[in-house]
Amino acid sequence: MVTVADLNSGHMPTWCPGCGDFGILIALKGALAKLSIPPEETVVVSGVGCGSKLPHFIKTYGFEGLHGRSLPPATGIHLANNSLTVVAVGGDGDGYGIGMAHFVHTMRRNVDLTYIVQDNEIYGLTTGQTAPTTRKGTKTKSTPNGVIDQEVNPILISLAAGATFVARGFAGDIPHLTDLIAQGIAHKGVSHIDVFQPCVTWRKDLPYDLYQKKIYKLQEAGHDVTDYHSAVARAHETERWPIGIFYNVPRATYTDEIPFIKDSPLVKHDISSVDISKYLQEFM
Amino acid sequence: MAITNRVNFLVGGPAGAGVASVGMLFAKCLQRAGLNAFGTNDYPSLIKGGHNLYAVSVSPEPIHCLVGQPDIVIALDKKTVELHAAALASGGALIFDSNKVASAKEMAKREDISYIGAPLTQMAAAAGGEIMFNTVALGAAMGILSLDFAILENMLGKLWARKGQAVVDANIAAARAGYNFSKSALSEPFKARIEFIKRDKTLFINGNEASVAGSLAAGCKFVAEYPMSPSSSILHLMAGHETDYDVIVKQTEDEISAANMIAGAGFAGVRAMTATSGGGFSLMAEALGMMGMMEAPAVIFESQRAGPSTGLPTYTEQADLLSALHASQGEFPRVVVAPGDANDCYVEAFNAFNIAELLQVPVIVLLDKYLSESSFTCENFSKFQLKVERGKLLSDEQLAAAPQPFKRYEYSANGISPRSIPGQKNGLHVCSSYEHDETGFTSEEGEVRIKQIDKRARKLSIIPEVFIAPTFHGASESLADILLVCWGSTKGPMLEAIRMLEQKGVAARMMHIRYASPFASVTVLKALSKAKNTIIFEGNSGAQMRSLIFQKTGYYIEKAYLRYDARPFTPDEIADHVSKLAGRK
Repeated sequence: MVTVADLNSGHMPTWCPGCGDFGILIALKGALAKLSIPPEETVVVSGVGCGSKLPHFIKTYGFEGLHGRSLPPATGIHLANNSLTVVAVGGDGDGYGIGMAHFVHTMRRNVDLTYIVQDNEIYGLTTGQTAPTTRKGTKTKSTPNGVIDQEVNPILISLAAGATFVARGFAGDIPHLTDLIAQGIAHKGVSHIDVFQPCVTWRKDLPYDLYQKKIYKLQEAGHDVTDYHSAVARAHETERWPIGIFYNVPRATYTDEIPFIKDSPLVKHDISSVDISKYLQEFM
Repeated sequence: MAITNRVNFLVGGPAGAGVASVGMLFAKCLQRAGLNAFGTNDYPSLIKGGHNLYAVSVSPEPIHCLVGQPDIVIALDKKTVELHAAALASGGALIFDSNKVASAKEMAKREDISYIGAPLTQMAAAAGGEIMFNTVALGAAMGILSLDFAILENMLGKLWARKGQAVVDANIAAARAGYNFSKSALSEPFKARIEFIKRDKTLFINGNEASVAGSLAAGCKFVAEYPMSPSSSILHLMAGHETDYDVIVKQTEDEISAANMIAGAGFAGVRAMTATSGGGFSLMAEALGMMGMMEAPAVIFESQRAGPSTGLPTYTEQADLLSALHASQGEFPRVVVAPGDANDCYVEAFNAFNIAELLQVPVIVLLDKYLSESSFTCENFSKFQLKVERGKLLSDEQLAAAPQPFKRYEYSANGISPRSIPGQKNGLHVCSSYEHDETGFTSEEGEVRIKQIDKRARKLSIIPEVFIAPTFHGASESLADILLVCWGSTKGPMLEAIRMLEQKGVAARMMHIRYASPFASVTVLKALSKAKNTIIFEGNSGAQMRSLIFQKTGYYIEKAYLRYDARPFTPDEIADHVSKLAGRK
């Protein structure tokens, strides 16, 4: 059995008091405990940003990489050892800005990993510039006259890219988010979980109670998670903000199609003495 | 009198005509006859049309590059006659398609060569398909040399086996038609002839192919790569052997992804590599620094092409040395090695994976287009007897006794810290791109910073000087008139040049540098200090290795011969230049 206490790293988070990242951290620990995954079997991978400091605050293996680049190493780790649970976390700037190419391609690959995006619609660590998800017209430090760009809709993008598990949570509803993350990790294939994460410092105009007022739960609204077109329609909603699972379907994962790691992950293959005579044949 | 077992060959034609395959088959047949062959290509960056060539030099002695003029030219188009007939050696033969080139003799304006104009297309059609016109031409070249047809037959059988017996038979028939035609077309015996030498099977293998051999032998199990000439054949070869060697080969969305993916795989305990050229390497720069900071093992093959920017995509250069040494911000140890030939590629590729794990650093193997795509005759690589070494990667038993929290970045005496991989108990840590303390936790303390920088920097010094020392060839230190310095793929032309110089009475000694980082300062300085006269040869305009030598030894090599027309050195130009320096003709 793994408890939430087993996952405490002993390091105090450095986030602002009230930051939505606390809720996400608690939910991730809760999900790993719920699934009883041993700490050494989990790798939490991140990029750079406020939320990307998360690997230090959870007692598992961690890989805190480069800004925008959490998904490639997460993929490399998974392909190296597909018996591990790999969870990538990062902000909306990290994932939908600088890391957008990796986001789209990781979704289409259906690599068995879970990607949690701390989506606060702002750049926090760089002190309050517009993010890809910042809604058109919003005034930020880098857009004092309002954002001109149309905002990114990450749920639509992962649906379009071919993700097999697409969900959205709210950092202010920890039990719901815990359950979402647990389902995402349990899902065979890629899981994209975008999380509404209030930024109490730079987005005072997007407080917890606004989210609470706007959101509704897809699973309480009778949404069919296997209906792609319905998922797309829900992702288009702007008046009310749906949370929960948009889409969840089975599909062969990337590693399902690699025969030689069916029985044993790559890392367990013996490399002490590789015979290359077959390879050299064609040069003789 | 006929010259035995020495012949130079060139085939030219438009892209898509199978120029390279004719050239390589020619070389392989002669390699099968027990000889040494060197083959190289020249082609523009396009798929159809243009002018491609493949040239081969064959010798009973080891051969390191093209030496001398071609004795046989196969012209699969008119342009080849225009461009190469003049270069044919006296007494040589020009084989051409009589349908495409009506007046080869008028074009070449030479009386001292044989003209073998064959209706290649019709002969190929008669054998089973016009597409085999290049096989007819190859047969014609073999006919001139009176090579045992069985060797060619055997090679064609091996090459086409996967297409079925009908294709094999058609190709053999096409080759035989060419063979018989040219044998009867010559009025007198050809200037060169081939005598079979009994010998253990050798390899005819290029730099990329040998690098893949070394990587596979070293237990590389993960390749992430974005295609870029001239490194792409590494991706193709690895992908082609994915299931033979249980290697996961991932073509990524970009080079940034490739570099970050292999960092992840390396962290997770799998030997991983990527390959690229200068442009892709530039995109990997940030990840390279991350590998340095995280102490994540990784191997990056960088096959240089003429830059900057898109540059000349299919032409060679040695101008990324300083980029390989300095790419990415901040200070961290890295290993940069530039093999000189296919043997070096095999050995240094294998070593790269060992070093990456022993030192927990990124290793850059610097190739170039010329090395990547030139084929050398090598003895079977099994003779090297290299051993996989994984350094301080702890076993589960060792970790069971490890104090907690685990000190992944312990301040050890030689800078190498114990390493655990995900899945192992008692080894939990965060591998971070931020500066960190011994456990991996982020730290911005000045003292921690200094200790970590110093710890990482210490790692390079565990590689002994003897391992990274340059190799010396030619005249001994005491007898040498001049020391010729080179690095990377200039090795081959330089080896042939010192042979030529010896014949001209110039005692030249050659120093070939492989390791740019760490650098064998003691050995290099000693060699430079003892030399009477020194010159460096580099395939770049800024004498980048000279700068590095100066930086590492304080010795400035006054004379430099720099070639940056995006072509490799020839032994003749090296020998001519050195002769002039030495005051000889």
